[in-house]
Amino acid sequence: MFDIKTLLIAIPALPLVATLVTAVFGRRVLRQRSHWPVVAAVAGSFLASLLLLNEVHKAAALEDSNQKVGYESVLALWTWAAVDNAYDLDDETDAQGSQTKDFRIDVTLRADPLSSIMLVAVTLVSLLVVIYSIGYMHDDPGYWRFFTYLGLFIFSMTMLVSVSNFVLLYVFWEAVGLCSYLLIGFWFQKREASAAGKKAFLVNRVGDFGFALGVFLLWTTYGTLDFHDTTTKDDGTVAVAMADDEVTTAGVLGQERLTEGNYKTGAVATAICLLLMLGACGKSAQFPLHVWLPDAMEGPTPVSALIHAATMVTAGVYMVARCSPLFFASTDAQHVVALIGGFTALMAALIALTQTDLKRILAYSTISQLGFMFLALGTGTLVGVVAAMFHLFTHAFFKGLLFLGAGSVMHAMGGVIDVRRFGGLRRLMPVTHWTFLFGSLALAGIIPFAGFYSKDTILLAVHAKEGAFYAVLYWTAVVTALLTAFYTFRAFFLTFYGDEQIPPEAGHHAHESPGAMVWPLRILAVASLLAGIVLYQWGSFDGFIRKTPSLDYLARQADLAAAEDAVAGHESVEHDAHFAVMAQSIVIAFLGVGLAAFFYLGDRKEIAAIARAMDRAGLYRLSHGKFYFDTIYKFLVVWPLEGIARLCYWIDRYVIDAAVDFCGMVPRALGASLRPLQSGLIQFYALAMVLGLLILIGSLLMCTL
Amino acid sequence: MDNVLLAAVLLPLLGAGCVWALAETGRKVVRISALATTLLTLALAVVLISQYPVGEAEFAASETNVSWFGGEDGPIDVRFSIALDGLSLWMFGLTALLMVTCVLISWEAITDRPAAFYGTLLLLETGMLGVFIARDIILFYVFFEFTLIPLFFLIGIWGSEQRRYAAVKFFLFTLAGSVLTFLGLLAIVLWNAYHSADGVMTFSIPELTASLRLHPIDPAVQLWIFLALFAGFAIKVPLFPFHTWLPLAHVQAPTAGSVVLAGVLLKIGTYGFVRFSLPMLPDATAACMPWVLWLAAAGIIYGALVALAQSDIKRLIAYSSVSHLGFCMLGIFSLNPLGMQGGVLQMVNHGLSTGGLFAVVGMIYERYHTRKIADLGGLAHRLPLLAFFMLVLTLSSIGLPGLNGFAGEFLLLLGMFQRAWTGVPGDWVIHLRIISVVSVLGVVLGAWYMLRLVRLVFFGELREPIRADGEPAPRDMSLREVAALAPLLVFVVWIGVQPRFFLDRMSPQLDGIATQAAKSLDQKPPELGEALTDANEVAAAGEPTRDH
Repeated sequence: MFDIKTLLIAIPALPLVATLVTAVFGRRVLRQRSHWPVVAAVAGSFLASLLLLNEVHKAAALEDSNQKVGYESVLALWTWAAVDNAYDLDDETDAQGSQTKDFRIDVTLRADPLSSIMLVAVTLVSLLVVIYSIGYMHDDPGYWRFFTYLGLFIFSMTMLVSVSNFVLLYVFWEAVGLCSYLLIGFWFQKREASAAGKKAFLVNRVGDFGFALGVFLLWTTYGTLDFHDTTTKDDGTVAVAMADDEVTTAGVLGQERLTEGNYKTGAVATAICLLLMLGACGKSAQFPLHVWLPDAMEGPTPVSALIHAATMVTAGVYMVARCSPLFFASTDAQHVVALIGGFTALMAALIALTQTDLKRILAYSTISQLGFMFLALGTGTLVGVVAAMFHLFTHAFFKGLLFLGAGSVMHAMGGVIDVRRFGGLRRLMPVTHWTFLFGSLALAGIIPFAGFYSKDTILLAVHAKEGAFYAVLYWTAVVTALLTAFYTFRAFFLTFYGDEQIPPEAGHHAHESPGAMVWPLRILAVASLLAGIVLYQWGSFDGFIRKTPSLDYLARQADLAAAEDAVAGHESVEHDAHFAVMAQSIVIAFLGVGLAAFFYLGDRKEIAAIARAMDRAGLYRLSHGKFYFDTIYKFLVVWPLEGIARLCYWIDRYVIDAAVDFCGMVPRALGASLRPLQSGLIQFYALAMVLGLLILIGSLLMCTL
Repeated sequence: MDNVLLAAVLLPLLGAGCVWALAETGRKVVRISALATTLLTLALAVVLISQYPVGEAEFAASETNVSWFGGEDGPIDVRFSIALDGLSLWMFGLTALLMVTCVLISWEAITDRPAAFYGTLLLLETGMLGVFIARDIILFYVFFEFTLIPLFFLIGIWGSEQRRYAAVKFFLFTLAGSVLTFLGLLAIVLWNAYHSADGVMTFSIPELTASLRLHPIDPAVQLWIFLALFAGFAIKVPLFPFHTWLPLAHVQAPTAGSVVLAGVLLKIGTYGFVRFSLPMLPDATAACMPWVLWLAAAGIIYGALVALAQSDIKRLIAYSSVSHLGFCMLGIFSLNPLGMQGGVLQMVNHGLSTGGLFAVVGMIYERYHTRKIADLGGLAHRLPLLAFFMLVLTLSSIGLPGLNGFAGEFLLLLGMFQRAWTGVPGDWVIHLRIISVVSVLGVVLGAWYMLRLVRLVFFGELREPIRADGEPAPRDMSLREVAALAPLLVFVVWIGVQPRFFLDRMSPQLDGIATQAAKSLDQKPPELGEALTDANEVAAAGEPTRDH
């Protein structure tokens, strides 16, 4: 009953069914009970994900690691599109002796350690957020609509992490973008909300432009878009290649290619990676496409927690991790990824320092943490990729928690989210207070909270890389970690400490949130405390996740390199850097928290002085103005394009269409100019006849002469 | 089964006659009989499509073939020959489907001479169905021109303020091009008659295609014929910069006119390229490919930019058509199976999404009597159901995966990319590569102008034109309006989730066309300039022989 295939279908199918039920019956029948189908379905999906994780874990342990690269199980559902003889192989022939390749996109799902871990994280956070939303969204007139969108998102997100094909990855990549668009603009009557939704969609489309080109280039380079290998059966049907089948088309991330290490290198590899990275920059809000995420905070807070912190924005990290063999083939691309990650992490942390909107502080923090993950991915080593996925996992819990906590505060404050307008809420909202504290400690990287372990592994991975380039990035990351601890606790102290201050909008709402909201907070708080210890200290997170084919490939390449080094006589020196990095990481985190406590507990005189000094240097405004990216883009992209658009419209009317009208006037004008000839004067006609005759005779004479 | 197709084409003609005969009985009877006619035609189309086999090349279903004028023994044998094949199948079905929508959305909107209106509309349906299934060049041209007249009246009589100017411009512009097209088509027939083995003058499109595959037209002559055909088809598409009649005609046409114009009539141009230019003039197609692709890419970007600058909803969507048809042309002229299938699928997709969008705009106009973006806002409060339809059609139009637009755009852009980056004709590599990348930007711009429209008109604070005292607030979509749009949505989702169903029925034929055109491309096509000089030389060399 609970085999991998059934579970793999059930996980996305349940939310899809719930979405359809809510969409059809929500408005008229279910109304305030619209959450039930979605809650039940997501709970089912979560259980299925746990079972799947268990099954995959068992199967991966059994797998003979000598024969296969990692563990994967692929399930084909139906053929989306097929075009025969689409690709000319240029005088080469494939295994079948054919000169052309068919284009074929099957709807295929896969289970491997990477996807099963992602599924557990996605469905768990989804479940908690859906339950939280029951409390947060009650009385909203769009209650059923909210849960319909949420269900659609959960379906798309679970599909995104379990598809086994680049086209379908793109499909659900855009589908989660659509859900994000719909949910950011959920309160569409608010101008800012609908504008933010549109902005998110468009900025993501710019990223997807790169992603699409990357996919096209993959097709022309490798002649397939499947992750897995396929085989052609005797009757001509195409199926997923099993262990003993002869592989006719080696997938981009399939067993055959991974075994042989058959990846293109050089400019093509770099181009593919950079184009894919552009897509990842859009979805995961990395520089230069990060501008949409802070605006996305206009959406309801549960959405910010689920989509814009825990799940969707990590899709870029997931994609790059999944494609790590491709990135491994291009050192340049790795450097770009690391650079973008490191820069974004620092930049977003600097902006977060001065923001006053609690949700926006968290949004910039998300951008910054995603930057950390890309920095780790940019190392191109197994340790780095595992560290990125580990951080993705823990971040989903503690950042989800922080957003839900911020939502709880916002709920109690009657929609006010400016940290200057409330304060000292710790007595009023005790549960929100301690859970938010746990989230903050995790984000700041205080030992033994989850964030400490994952951030530490990232620092280790970067530290392990040699060369000045990564050394600079390492110190950037350390500084960013300090800033993170500082701005997190700045927000925490401003919200929960100091004199109790409640804005008038709060009204009778100023109390602790209802059970549906605080229980998810408690659960996530415990997860933020334990996820790191359980998975890192006692668990086998990296042992398990490295059984993913893409990651196993990295492990093998590392082994090969080590073996070569050994042959060449280079004794690989085991740095015992672990302790030093960990010590730095601990000190930095405490320093950041300590500074925040020093400046923000008490009368805050010192910080005001610093802010004034910074303001004089122009730095404060730079940070507060978010480095003016929005303005720069407006001047460099939006306005010029709108200007060109108006110019084109002008040309359309006064040049092209005028030319058409001119052509239309030619016959009429010609007629008009000839009209005087028909004057009705007999003498004139006679004269014309004589003249014509003379010309005719004259020309005849000329010819004969 | 043989005469089902004939019945489907003649049924609207019959319906038009009935509607005119019933003119005295009033609007209700007239529109019900018009609806019945279109529904019956749709039913016949569904029967035909459901019987169509998967995967058979050169298959033609439900053929009717009788001598029309001339005779089998004489020098001229023009036949009334019709059949469905892989290329025409979905355009035929789309036409039948959209006509039902057209009748339903005109239900209340048309009060002036309804019998004449529906009669004209049904005449137009016969013309459009006929264009796609004609198997004889003369018959094709008759239907091709025949579609102009009913639309001329639809715009000229039931249009908006500037209807006369728009109707005349539309008519003359397209007619001017199609006269040249006719000359081109005749040139093909004559060349074939002179050069084929038996010297018989055939007008049959399949016979000509087969015959010209064996005895291709001299490349230099092909070029002139190609340009003649191009004149008519490019204007019809419309390819940039021959598009200026389109926004005007769209804005002035009644809603049903806009729906068929965008949904079906523009596709006659692209259809003409695939039916005639590519298979019959492969060398000229290969020579002109980069030029046509440049125009297509320019249209994609230019149309999108101009759409961004619009303040009138209908004109915005009209310019989006210029952009979308650029995509279709891009796919078709990428000359490989992927691009070709994507391009033809995109013809259907554009018909569904843009046809539907024009219907939505018509519904807004019926309620508010304005098409100005600035007059409207936040309509999702007042008309949630209409907002839902608008949003889905918009997403389909901007190529959201899972809906139809993505399937077509993805395939054709992939095809174009493949053309540019693998196996390209020498000197044009850079051009093709630029085109293949730039045109993908059209997808970004497309999202920009459409989402801008949705945001301004449907989101934000409710803003409506001031109503007269006692006038009730506009109501959300009626059952009739839902019935007009819901079938489109079914196909929007179906094509998005399972495009294979649609591709499999058209691919064998399109593959043949694409492969043949690609072959000419590989045989080092002449540069356009050289070819023109060659053509002049051939013409000059040909002159003395004519005196004999």
